[in-house]
Amino acid sequence: MNFPVWELEMGGGVLMAVVSVLHVFIAHFAIGGGLWLVVTEAKARRDNDAGMLDFVKSHSRVFLLLTLVFGAVSGVGIWFTAALISPATITVLVRAYVWGWAMEWVFFVVEIAAALVYWYGWDRLSARAHLITGWIYFVAAFMSLVVINGIVAFMLTPGGWLENQQFWTGFFNPTYWPSLAIRTCAALALAGLFTLLSASFIKDGGLRDRLVRHNAGWVLVSVILATACGYWYRAQFPGWSDAMLGAIPVLPTVGKLLRWSSAALIVLSLWPLIFPRRWHAVSATLLLAVALGAFGAGEWAREAGRKPYTIHGYLYSTGVRVGEQEEALAADGVLAHTKWADPDAIASGDPVRIGGELYRNWCVQCHTMDGYNGLRPYLRHWDETTIAGLLPRLGSMRALMPPWYGNESETAALAAYLADVGGGSAAGRFPTDDPGAAGELAWRISCGLCHTLDGYRPLRESLAGMSRDDLEELLDTLEEYTEQMPPYTAGETEREHLLDHLEKAAGGGAESTSPAERSAR
Amino acid sequence: MNPLIPSPDPLPLPGPASLFAVLLHLTLLVHLLFMNALFGGLVLALINVWRRRETGDVHDRLASAISKLIPTLFAGTVTFGVAPLLFMQVLYGDFFYTSSIIIAWPWLAVVGMLIVAYYTVYLNAFRKGWRRGGRLTVLAIATILVAATAFVFSNNLTLMLRPERWGELYFARPGGGSLNLGEITLWPRYLHMALGAVAVAGALLAVWSRSRRGDPELYFLALRQGTAVCGWTTMANVMIGLWFLFALPRPIRMLTMGDSIYATALFGVGFLLSLVMIAIAMRMNATDVARSPAPLAIVTLVMVAAMILLRDVVRGGYLADHLAATALPVSTQSLNLAIFGVLLAAGAATLVWLIRSLLGSRQG
Repeated sequence: MNFPVWELEMGGGVLMAVVSVLHVFIAHFAIGGGLWLVVTEAKARRDNDAGMLDFVKSHSRVFLLLTLVFGAVSGVGIWFTAALISPATITVLVRAYVWGWAMEWVFFVVEIAAALVYWYGWDRLSARAHLITGWIYFVAAFMSLVVINGIVAFMLTPGGWLENQQFWTGFFNPTYWPSLAIRTCAALALAGLFTLLSASFIKDGGLRDRLVRHNAGWVLVSVILATACGYWYRAQFPGWSDAMLGAIPVLPTVGKLLRWSSAALIVLSLWPLIFPRRWHAVSATLLLAVALGAFGAGEWAREAGRKPYTIHGYLYSTGVRVGEQEEALAADGVLAHTKWADPDAIASGDPVRIGGELYRNWCVQCHTMDGYNGLRPYLRHWDETTIAGLLPRLGSMRALMPPWYGNESETAALAAYLADVGGGSAAGRFPTDDPGAAGELAWRISCGLCHTLDGYRPLRESLAGMSRDDLEELLDTLEEYTEQMPPYTAGETEREHLLDHLEKAAGGGAESTSPAERSAR
Repeated sequence: MNPLIPSPDPLPLPGPASLFAVLLHLTLLVHLLFMNALFGGLVLALINVWRRRETGDVHDRLASAISKLIPTLFAGTVTFGVAPLLFMQVLYGDFFYTSSIIIAWPWLAVVGMLIVAYYTVYLNAFRKGWRRGGRLTVLAIATILVAATAFVFSNNLTLMLRPERWGELYFARPGGGSLNLGEITLWPRYLHMALGAVAVAGALLAVWSRSRRGDPELYFLALRQGTAVCGWTTMANVMIGLWFLFALPRPIRMLTMGDSIYATALFGVGFLLSLVMIAIAMRMNATDVARSPAPLAIVTLVMVAAMILLRDVVRGGYLADHLAATALPVSTQSLNLAIFGVLLAAGAATLVWLIRSLLGSRQG
């Protein structure tokens, strides 16, 4: 509402995910790898192990090139990307946490300088000075995590900050410690994983086996610890419950990805531990790819867990502040607060053009038409009336969206635009050869927007035992149940498919819900 | 007031605006010195690779010496670029984020260009025994990427000052594919910064030459080349500076010509210093006697500092009306400020220790 919205076809979320996951992956390696280098260097010097020391030296060059260049510049890249995609969020973070960022910057400068001196000092510094430099590097790198972690976790669980807006209250927020613990373990795991890759190129068999085994152990222990911390983190996650998971459609998938990739890492790192000789670059790369998947899933879960906010409970993903600003929108309508609507489009009076401006200003932050969080797969089944009926209910949907504060004409304009680009109602597009899939689709674009059968806002129990006639009657009188329930206006074909689906749900499965779940409802 | 300017965030500034301005200027000074040395250093390395006749001749040795320093200059530029970017956002974030979004793709491309340029300068520094053509190509790629990065910065930093141009550019391309090419000050501002960078790098080369007195041939080449580059580019830059001055809107130009004593004094000092800089550089260049580069170094430093303050005057001139209308509440986070101060001192001491142990060991 305050800033222009960058109309990005791939979706801002996807771009942010790509940039941040790649950066975070390397940045964690920069921390764990720093510890690995100095610890291993100290051991090699103690044991007078020239081969190991040579390896540490050559590995430190890869480390430098990866962390100093890609790690540092992609960190700037995250900042650029976040400010392009959510300037309102960055504004709050800068205001509230500029001293945190400034502290982090000091650690960053020391970290970079120490990395350079560590590398250039291999043949110049005394062993003692070189090791001290390595420790300075690690401490500075870890401290920058200690600071950044506070600010990143703050966005998900600002905790008491919402009341007192105090720096340290928001900093040491409910997920601060588990998040720091997971990230530290992940950093250590990545140190082992990257070294497994560079160790796989060593010619000397004895040294290679020792290193591979050593690093596999390093990975195994770190991943087991990270997984344990994951459950601790989960316990601190705001409003966590498996039912809540269903409210954010992507979370169950992400959670599964996270569990599977952690398990895969544990199992796969047993292989080099037991058979170090059979280890090679391809398997190391595979393991790194699995770790990247785990990282992506973890960051995704954290991002998705904030929905519909970017700063939980304070700032919606649309850039609207909770409270006062919401009231202003509700009172004046959204156009009055949309700075970046094209005046020509507004002056034209054409609802579709005005709706287009509303769409860009209020939807594009999270949605695309056909890609990530794509709308067209829904829109093509809806007519203008259906869309206009849904918009005021966005705030109570399953997908956790910010409320829509448009007035009647704004809602009509946005609905006109969405119906126009969505292709309008198309009942004929239900699969004809697969009644199950057709029913599933009819459910997904109506009841499924807000309900599930057995998880979040479950319906199965309420439907249990209903006949087709009962269901027919139910659909005809929906709006009488609660204020939030829109009337069901779909065409005949879609309605039949939905009835089939509901009938199936009403007939079986009611027993499958546990007594605990039933009482919870 | 322009309706497109974002409404200020209600959260208070966590410290007085003047403090952020001081931090901005100080960190920008370090960033610009590194950036000038990086960009100018790339140009100087290119010149010497171009003039090299055979492997190991004096131009080759100078090009190699500069090439080895460039990755560290790159690290310094990026690292010390983060802080002024942060402090600038505290003061001017609303303007800066908006202009960034309007030129989103070129702006984001900066990240990619920097990564490629960074790896290229490492390649150039680490790899030995290259033919002239190969080294020229690699250096040219890095130079072009760094120059392009600077150009995007010039676009963004001029666009953030011109809210009256935002709507036209954004509504024509909400996909972020614009640049601020219609801006009349864009080219003189960009060229002024770029030529200034080469001049400063020339001065720094002359300073650096002192450390190579053991190799008289290299010493005199670096000294002569550095002072010549510094002198000639500064002469050209005086002209470009005047072009820039006259491209500025009249009320802003007049700030430096009597309307503001502070701005006029800054401009006068900057102008005089540029003449002094030319004189010192040319004098050092014309003699065979080794002279202390200290005067040149001091004049260069003061000159860059004066230009940073003058730049701030110009920004203030553009944004005066908008900023005056939105005086921000301040609630200083004293504890955090103190922690930052202590960390900064400890960090500086650590840097000194690190650099001394590296450089000390070389002599030892």
